[in-house]
Amino acid sequence: MNLLGVLEISGSALTAERQRAEVVASNLANAETTHTAKGGPYQRQLVIFSAQPVSHAKFASVLSDVGDEYARGVVVKSVVPDPTPAIRRFEPGHPDADREGYVAYPDINPIEEMVNLMGSARSYQLNVAAVQATKDMISQSLEILA
Amino acid sequence: MMSSSISGISQVSQAVATAGTVQPAEGGADFYSQLNSALNQVEKLQSEADQQIAGVLSGQGTDIHKAMIAVEKASLSFQLMMQVRNKIIQAYQDVSKTAF
Repeated sequence: MNLLGVLEISGSALTAERQRAEVVASNLANAETTHTAKGGPYQRQLVIFSAQPVSHAKFASVLSDVGDEYARGVVVKSVVPDPTPAIRRFEPGHPDADREGYVAYPDINPIEEMVNLMGSARSYQLNVAAVQATKDMISQSLEILA
Repeated sequence: MMSSSISGISQVSQAVATAGTVQPAEGGADFYSQLNSALNQVEKLQSEADQQIAGVLSGQGTDIHKAMIAVEKASLSFQLMMQVRNKIIQAYQDVSKTAF
């Protein structure tokens, strides 16, 4: 791997953080959703990250990367529903109310989601800083020849 | 974008390679063919950057950071190519100034 490969690693982190922000935004947007296609209230989603070797374009690069087993990008392995049971609120007039007049609302804490969103935004910022540092390293190595 | 102009350069170097009298070293690759493949690599990165930018602008849902990284890769490889080119030109000029 060369320095351009380091860009790939940071790029994978940016993609993963973008997906995390998407899921958090979806949780926030559906904090009061009582109706879904599957039936029942919206379920809060959680993102699972997984380390993954960066993709190799050519066989030759696989050989040259034998010493780079430690280089790992990140991918979103899966998005799983939060098993926390729904909150039941007494709203007899609501169309989604059950026989006893209770409506199931997703157990989503907007504060927790905001903290996740901030974490995602900061991680994105962090990885952009890593991209810029790598870029500067490549530019500086070009100045050796200049 | 820059990619269209690069093919011009590689054609010139191809022409030089066929017309030149330089013989490749025993067992080694021809310098011009190496230069050519390096130029093609730069061109490939630039066309990739073009595609990514087009993907963002046409609303195909390409990630912006992916496009930016592709553009940055193309730009850096172009800079590397320019440095190599400057070095070659400089070497040529140095030789051409040799006093007889």
